[in-house]
Amino acid sequence: MGYLRRTWPFHLMVLPALVFLIVFNFLPMAGVTMAFMDYKPWLGFSKSAWIGLDHFRALFEREDSIQVIMNTFIIAVSKIVFNLAVPFTFAILLNEVRQRFLNRSIQTLVYLPHFLSWVILGGILVNFLSTDGGLVNRVLGSFGIGPIPFLMDGDWFRVTIVASEVWKEFGYSTIVFLAALAGINPSLYEAAEVDGASRWKQTRYITIPSLVPMAIVVGTLSLGNILNAGFDQIFNLYNSLVYDKGDIIDTFVYRTAINDGNFGFATAVGLFKSVISMILIVISYRLAYKWANYRVF
Amino acid sequence: MKAHTRKGWMLALTFALVATFASACSSNNGNKNAASPSASAPASASASESGTEESTSPYKEKYDPPVEISTVWGVDPALKFKNGETIENNVSTKWALDTLGIKINSLWSVTDTNNAFVTKMRLSMSSGQKMPDTVTIGDAQLAQDLIDTGMFQDVGELFDKYANDTWKKAMELDPGVWNPYMRDGKKMGIPVLDYAYNHDYLLWIRQDWLDKLNLEGPKTLADLEKIMDAFKNQNPDGLKPDKVVPLSIGFKTTMNTWMGDPSWIFGAYGTVPGQWNVAADGSLEWGSINPASKQALETIKLWRDKGYIPAEAALWDENKTSEPAVAGTAGIIPGPYWMSGWPLLDTAKNVPTAVWKPYAIPTGPDGKAGRHGTNFTSGVTLINKDMKNPEALFTYQNYLFEHLADPAKGSQWDLGVFKGYDYDLDASGNPVYLDKIPGGEVNINRYWLVKDGARIPDAQMKSLLALADGKEPETRLEKEVKNNYGPETPAAAKVLLSQPGISISDMFTGPSTPTMSSKQDYLKKIELQAYNEIIYGKKGVDEFDKFVANWKSSGGDQITKEVNDWYATTK
Repeated sequence: MGYLRRTWPFHLMVLPALVFLIVFNFLPMAGVTMAFMDYKPWLGFSKSAWIGLDHFRALFEREDSIQVIMNTFIIAVSKIVFNLAVPFTFAILLNEVRQRFLNRSIQTLVYLPHFLSWVILGGILVNFLSTDGGLVNRVLGSFGIGPIPFLMDGDWFRVTIVASEVWKEFGYSTIVFLAALAGINPSLYEAAEVDGASRWKQTRYITIPSLVPMAIVVGTLSLGNILNAGFDQIFNLYNSLVYDKGDIIDTFVYRTAINDGNFGFATAVGLFKSVISMILIVISYRLAYKWANYRVF
Repeated sequence: MKAHTRKGWMLALTFALVATFASACSSNNGNKNAASPSASAPASASASESGTEESTSPYKEKYDPPVEISTVWGVDPALKFKNGETIENNVSTKWALDTLGIKINSLWSVTDTNNAFVTKMRLSMSSGQKMPDTVTIGDAQLAQDLIDTGMFQDVGELFDKYANDTWKKAMELDPGVWNPYMRDGKKMGIPVLDYAYNHDYLLWIRQDWLDKLNLEGPKTLADLEKIMDAFKNQNPDGLKPDKVVPLSIGFKTTMNTWMGDPSWIFGAYGTVPGQWNVAADGSLEWGSINPASKQALETIKLWRDKGYIPAEAALWDENKTSEPAVAGTAGIIPGPYWMSGWPLLDTAKNVPTAVWKPYAIPTGPDGKAGRHGTNFTSGVTLINKDMKNPEALFTYQNYLFEHLADPAKGSQWDLGVFKGYDYDLDASGNPVYLDKIPGGEVNINRYWLVKDGARIPDAQMKSLLALADGKEPETRLEKEVKNNYGPETPAAAKVLLSQPGISISDMFTGPSTPTMSSKQDYLKKIELQAYNEIIYGKKGVDEFDKFVANWKSSGGDQITKEVNDWYATTK
C-alpha cells in the first residue's frame, strides 16, 4: 500500500496511454465478430446474419488462394531476410568509416527514401524500370544487357519488389544497429588491440557478436509481418502480367472486399492473418528468449 | 526537499497530460453539441411550413417561407471557387434561395480525390449517421447498397406527380434508365441523365502526318495497319521508329474504359469485352468469352510484335495513353468525341504543326465494326424516406430542365448562367468566356444540387451537329459547346453519328448478383491474365479456349444465369 502511495503519480501518467489503448485497440476488437457475419453496415451487428465460417471457406475455395498465400509468404520472407542482412552489414561497414562528416552524410542520404510514400515512388519506379526507354534499362543496354522486364515478368517482379523495398528501408533500419554499435564497451576493443587483434578480428569477435542480440530482436519483431508483403508497394507496381507471382493477400482483399464493400470477408482475412502472426510471434519470442536471452515481459 | 520538488514536477506533468487528454475528448463533445441544433433546425422550419394551409398541393414555384433540402457533396478536386465561396455557400445556393425559396443545407462535403466521396458515404452509412434529404451517387455499387438500406423512398409517384414535361420527355428517350433502380416494381431513385454518346469511341489521327504521307483515313483494320506502319517507319516528323507510338492504347485494369482502350479492335470482330452484350439468341453473354475475342487478341498481339502499340501497354492506364498523344509522338489515339478539347488541345503546345482529326471506327475482315456504347445515365438521385418536402427537389430540377437543359433562343441564360462565373461581359457589353472572365472561369455545373444540373441526353449531340453543318450558335447549349469545347468537337460529333448502329452498350445495369460478389474478382483476374499472356506471347492463342473453359467452370456460367434472370425481369 505504501508502495502505491509513493508511486501513484507514475500510474496516473500511464493512464492516458492506457485509456487510448483500450478505446482504440481493445474495444474495436469486438468487431472481429464481423468475420463470422454476412455483415451489412445498415443492419449493424445485432441484425446482420451469422454465417459461421463461410468467409474462411470462401478464402480457401478460391482457385488461386494457395498461390496468393504462397506469393505473400515468399515475398514477405525475402523482405524480412534482406531487411535484416543488408542493414546489419551496412551498419558494420559504416562504422568503419572514421571520417565523421562522411559517416553522417551517408547515414542521412540512405535513410531519405524511407520518407517517400509508395504512391510517389511507384510512379518513379514504373518510369525508371520501363523496358521502353527507362533509365535502368538504358544503362544496362549500354553494357549489352538487353531490356529486362522488371515489372512485366513474375520472377523479375519479385526481385524488383524485394530490392526496391530494401533500398527504401535499409537506411532507416541501419539506425537501430548503429545505436547498438555505439553501445559496445570501448574497453573490449582496447583489450583486443593490446592482444594484437587485427581490425577484421575485432569485427569478427567483438562487433558481430555484440550486434547479434539486436539482430534477433529486430528479426523477432518483423516475424509478425510474415503475411504482410507490403500492400501499398505492390498495389502501386503490380499489373495483370505478374498476377501469378505478385498477387498477395492484401491486394486480393482490396479488390474483392474493399471495392465491393464486403466488410465481413475483409475482416475474416484480417483475422486469419492476425492468428498466423500471433502464433509466429509467440514462437519467435520463445526462441529469442532462449538464444539471445531477450525478453520484453 | 530535492525529492519533494521532483515529485512536484511529476505531478504537474501528469496533470498536464491528463488535462490535454481530457480537453481533446471534451472538444469533440463540443463539436457534437454544436452540430445538433443545426440538425434540428430543418424540422422546426418545416413544421411551421406545414402549418400554413393556403394551397392544397405542397408543390410551389417559390417557397415562402423558404424550405430546406439537406445534402452532401463530393467536390471535384478540379473545381475552383472564387470570391471566398465554398460548396456550401456560393452563387448557386444563393440563387436557389432567392429564386426558388429553397435553402440548401450541407451536412458535409469532401474533396473527391481517390474516391473519397464514395468512401465517406460508405462510412457514414456503416456508422449510422443521418442521411441527407437527397444525394446524387455516381458509383453504381454504392447506389445499390444505399437503396438496400431502406433509408430512401420510392420516387415513382413523386416523379409522375411533380416532374415537368421537359424532364419526363428526356427520361422517356430511353425507358431502360430506370432498370438499375427498380425494386419489386418500385422506382427507388431518379436516374441522372447524361449526354448520349459521351463515351462512344472514334479514332483521333494526326492529320498532318497523314497529309505528309499522302495517306487517306482508314476504312478497315488493314488500312489502319498500313498507316501505323508508315507512321512508325517513315515518320513525317522525322522521329526514329522506336520513339513513335503509332497507336496509343493501354489496358492496365480493363480492356473497356473511357479513353485509349482496345475495345473497338474487338468490335471489328463482332464483340465488346468486359461487358454484357446481347448474343445471337437474345440472351446476355460476357463479351470477353465470345470467340471473336480470340481473333481480336491475335490482331493485338501482331500489332504489339510489330511495335504499333506501346511495348508496356499492359501497364498503361487512360491518362498514360494520352501522354504520347499530347507529347506529339503518337499518331492515333482512340477515345470519345470530346478529346479535341481535352487532352489533345495541349498537343499544339509541344508540336505546333500537329493537327488531330476524328475518323470513324474501322471495320474488320467481315465488314463489322463495334465500340462500347454509353448508357444515358451518370448516376442516381436518392430521396430520403424522412424528407419533409420532397416536392422542393422537383421545383429545383424542373426549373433547371426548363431553363438550363436546352432552352430555345432568347432564354434568360443564353449568354451563360452566373455573370462573373461561367461568363462575363466586357466593356462594350459583349460576352467573354473561359480565361477572359476576370478572376477566371468557374465550372458552375458542379454547383448544382444534382450533378451537372439538368441534361437532356440527345440535346448536346443535336447542337454539335447543327454547328458541324456551319450554323451560327444561337441557343444556350449551342453557345456553350462552341465556347467550352475544342475546335474539332462538332466534326467529331458528326463522325460519331455517321456510325449510329455500331455502339454496343453494357446491357447489365442491375445490382451485383450473389455469385458476382464472391467470384467476380477471380474471373476478372484470369481474364486479364490470359489476355495479357496471349498479347505478350507468353502463351499461344489457344490459351484463350482454356481461359473460356476455366471462366465457365469457375462461376462464370452461374453468373451468366443470374444475369439473364435479372434481364428477364426488365423485359
